[in-house]
Amino acid sequence: MPGQPVDAAAVQLAEVLEAVWEKQRAPVEPLSETAGLTQIDAAYAVQQAWTALREARGEQVMGHKIGLTSQAMQQQMGVDQPDFGRLWASRYFAPQDTQATIPIDLFWQPRLEGELAFLLGQDLEGPNVTLQEVLGATEAVAASLEIVDSRIRDWRIRIYDTIADNASFGAFTLGAWQRKARAFDLQQLGMLIYKNGALVAQGVGAACLGHPARAVAWLANTLHRYGTRLKAGDVVLSGALAASFPVTRGDVCTLCMQGFPPLTVIFA
Amino acid sequence: MLPPNEQRLRDAIEQARKQRTPLTSRGADWQVDLAGAYLIQAARLSATPLKGYKLGLLSPAKQQQMGIDHPIYGRIAADMLHESPVSLGQFLQPRVEPELVVWLRAPIPPSSRPDQAAQAIGGVFLGVDLLDSVWRDYRFSLVEVVADNASGGGFLLGPQLLPTWPLSGTLRLFMDGVCVGEGEVAALGDPGERLQWLAQQVGGLQAGQFVFMGSPAAAQPAQPGVLRVELDDHLLLCQLTP
Repeated sequence: MPGQPVDAAAVQLAEVLEAVWEKQRAPVEPLSETAGLTQIDAAYAVQQAWTALREARGEQVMGHKIGLTSQAMQQQMGVDQPDFGRLWASRYFAPQDTQATIPIDLFWQPRLEGELAFLLGQDLEGPNVTLQEVLGATEAVAASLEIVDSRIRDWRIRIYDTIADNASFGAFTLGAWQRKARAFDLQQLGMLIYKNGALVAQGVGAACLGHPARAVAWLANTLHRYGTRLKAGDVVLSGALAASFPVTRGDVCTLCMQGFPPLTVIFA
Repeated sequence: MLPPNEQRLRDAIEQARKQRTPLTSRGADWQVDLAGAYLIQAARLSATPLKGYKLGLLSPAKQQQMGIDHPIYGRIAADMLHESPVSLGQFLQPRVEPELVVWLRAPIPPSSRPDQAAQAIGGVFLGVDLLDSVWRDYRFSLVEVVADNASGGGFLLGPQLLPTWPLSGTLRLFMDGVCVGEGEVAALGDPGERLQWLAQQVGGLQAGQFVFMGSPAAAQPAQPGVLRVELDDHLLLCQLTP
């Protein structure tokens, strides 16, 4: 298709994004404007090329993140479905007890969101994966805080930009895995986030595609279209349960997910 | 290829579904036996990978009526699993039954014992069997109902996992807020024995499959409105549209 990046072009864009990620250059103008990136598949090809580039330098993929899972975000992007990115292990911050410290300097324009994380105990291969199969195949569930960030200037993203930009992944932390949480009513699950002691986000499981496990089912079915599947041991962040909010150095944010121990992030 | 008598019954069922006209039971006239009926069922559902199975005719009373001492089973293809809202227009004579559904985390070989089969249960969900017999007014012979996929039409699953099979509790079915059926979970029998029987019949069950374990309440005609199934604090809600 004219104007669509071929593989070499995908690699080139991946190198640009990598340079921004590594803070060797400032965020760039939207690739949808400057590089004619206006196809979903081409955008995923960039994401894939970027992941391959990082893997060649020792990066590991822990699983996937799902984005654009709320109606509000989809409307804002003018799409009717979510997107996905890869969870890069170099940006996983394990909490000490219930608290993780994350250097704010890693990011350009960080925002925080609260999510549910699924740890798969079995492979899940599309098509036709249902949310009940996701719950069955889930080994355990954890509360998660994800930092989203954009390598695109001022977050001026279209769907193609964010997909290429690894679904605006920044970093994440996870609370303790809980097997019993598979049996929670994940639709009804309430979530609060406090920033420096003030309540800044309140969400519910149903805000994520109606049911967080439905987002994971969407991912399994979408990966099938790209010839791959979810594997046992994968971590999946299912998408935000409430709108994200900006964070800055010194912020202390605590996630209270119903039925889970609280999880705190300190931005150092 | 099916033998001629089996093919005749299969054609009759498929034509009736295509023409959207229920068939009148012809009892034993088909000259097809139970094994032949299952051959028809398998042939009709061979195109898609199976999501699982449903059990039917679980109560001794129903079995006696049909002259058997065991349940029957039907197959569940991926396109039979539905999510709310469900249009009833796609079915011929829809009825609904509240059920429990098991999801298998491990395969069940045909030679398993009941306790081994029970070990394979990886989760339990509320479910609805949206029955859709091709046989007018659900009057059918054993062979006719089995050939017609044990009346299996559509299937619904609840959104919340129960980690283990509930030992007690009352399954309730509501249509537009009116309780139209209820039954005790205990009436469904021992899930390990049921699964073991099914695994034996079908040459083994696979990890990841669902089994609709039958209903402790009588089937009710499905009408447009809100379908609700409850068991303790578990809920399945579905909008039925014309």
